[in-house]
Amino acid sequence: MSTSTTPLSAAPTTRRARSAGPGAMTLLALEVRDEMRIIRREPAALFFSVLMPVMFYMLFVALFGREMPTGASRPVGTFMLATFGTYGAIVATMMNPGISLATARENGWFENVRVSPVPVGVHLAAKVVATVPFVAGILVAMTAASAALGVLEVSVTEWLALMAALVIGSQSFALVGLVVGALASPNAATAILNAIIMPAAIASGLWFPLETMPAWVSTVATFLPTYHLAQLAATPLGGGPWMTHLLVLIAFTGVAGLAAAAAWRRADA
Amino acid sequence: MTDRPDPLRVRDVRFTYPGAERPALDGVDLDVRPGECLALLGPNGAGKTTLIRTITGMRAPDTGTARVAGDDPRWATTRSRIGVMLQSTAFPSHLTVRELVEGAAARAGRTARDVDDVLAEVGLEDLATRRSHRLSGGQRRRLQLARALVVDPTLLVLDEPTEGLDAESRRATWDHLAARRDAGMAILLTTHLVAEAGEVADRVAVIADGRIVANASPEVLVDGLPDRTIHLATDVPLDQARSLSGVDHVTATAAEAGSRSTLSITTRHPEGILRSLLASDPDASDLRVVGASLEDAVLAITADHPTRDVVDRPGGADARPGGPSRRSPTGPATMPVATATTTTSAETAPTGTDRTPARLTDRTPA
Repeated sequence: MSTSTTPLSAAPTTRRARSAGPGAMTLLALEVRDEMRIIRREPAALFFSVLMPVMFYMLFVALFGREMPTGASRPVGTFMLATFGTYGAIVATMMNPGISLATARENGWFENVRVSPVPVGVHLAAKVVATVPFVAGILVAMTAASAALGVLEVSVTEWLALMAALVIGSQSFALVGLVVGALASPNAATAILNAIIMPAAIASGLWFPLETMPAWVSTVATFLPTYHLAQLAATPLGGGPWMTHLLVLIAFTGVAGLAAAAAWRRADA
Repeated sequence: MTDRPDPLRVRDVRFTYPGAERPALDGVDLDVRPGECLALLGPNGAGKTTLIRTITGMRAPDTGTARVAGDDPRWATTRSRIGVMLQSTAFPSHLTVRELVEGAAARAGRTARDVDDVLAEVGLEDLATRRSHRLSGGQRRRLQLARALVVDPTLLVLDEPTEGLDAESRRATWDHLAARRDAGMAILLTTHLVAEAGEVADRVAVIADGRIVANASPEVLVDGLPDRTIHLATDVPLDQARSLSGVDHVTATAAEAGSRSTLSITTRHPEGILRSLLASDPDASDLRVVGASLEDAVLAITADHPTRDVVDRPGGADARPGGPSRRSPTGPATMPVATATTTTSAETAPTGTDRTPARLTDRTPA
């Protein structure tokens, strides 16, 4: 071509002025705000994802929560904040981003995201970050229920440590949701994620103590990241060594991240 | 020479889908200049969607470059200068019209100040607080347009923009865009409505088999097609009309017994044919002679390019040669707008060079 004004030879000043779009954090904030609006304006969805785990917790506390485990100084109901909290947290982090991504891919909105100035990574990160208030809400509601049922024996520090473990630790589970959301239709994504969450919850002892189940379930549990998240969350309440659980979760995050990248490449092809 | 790069410059872009035998884009060159509206036309599977995806930054080409205002559309900052109206009219539910338009402005680094103006421009000012899932199809189209315009784009990409709009809304849309074009905004348009492209585009690029096979003003494209069609009601039998010298093709509209049939005669020499017809039947009536339409021209151009099979892909139809496509026979290029004309063109496919598209490029000198 005769006009040889190549893009890169443009005057540096012009270039800088033109490139000065919003930074990644601004874009993330805009995306998170929209995700939160969408979540907030769907009261039915909000009701189910917050209230269901909490009611589930209350039911189990009413049945078993007042027992004192041998050698422990607080009721089972307090420990169940870690196990049922894990359950509620992973439902929120896996379901919301996964189904929302699958829906956007199916109805075509996701194409609009890809042609927008928001990098896809920022858009997906926003879906994950938007689950934080959700998870926190579930845990606060569970704690309130625990207190109301009279099984809450925990110091503020212990409670904050438990919250931090669950809020931060559950974020890597959003990657699993995104893998499924990148590959499946919305209906299939819902089914697949439930098919992952339910067995994992049972086999990790999130609903019933592992001691009440066959021995092999405990063996299976040690391979499940959900088990390690619950154990990590229970550490401030007087659990055992926590380093292994943390390392397993970090390794899981790495594997889930690779799977998400592979799923994305496949969806993008 | 210029201190501002063209809104769109595509150079020798090639792209082959993984596993495909043939490239979807096979050396595409395309420019759109400030204020210009370029219509990209071509059969399904010709590469339109792939090219749009490349230009809007969804896809990186295997080789070659696509530049919007001089920058790579794969960069997020470049995309803040592209307004895009895709075929899908989906929005996240529960967000309001205003939030969606403000959001588009904010993500492109624009202030929300212009939002009211843009809402008024597309006629959504009264629906600003309505949530997107409560909008009608036409309102969703206008919302898409508002989101594309609020970033004050250098390049506006419209993928089937008036699909689902009535004639009035369609006209209104193009009226709004005219003012923007006067201010220098460039438009890249794809549409199945070839007549619409002829009305609004300064230039028409025809893509077939992943290549731009014609790139000229609608007038030049039509002038390249010397065919005229004579329509008349006459007693002259079909066979006699066919035997006239210079006749390319004749179709007869079935007549009721005893009444005259209507002949449609395609020819490049309408004067001589008319004289012969009127000599045979001085009472011939309802006479009309029409020139080729842009649609005819585009069909003629694409007919010279054997198309590949079309496989629908989620998110847009495009060619995925190989795989399942081997099962279906290769057919002639079909424009979705094609009616009976398709058959006519195919039957009368010229042996000469009159329709050779190579001559139809009138690239403006850079």
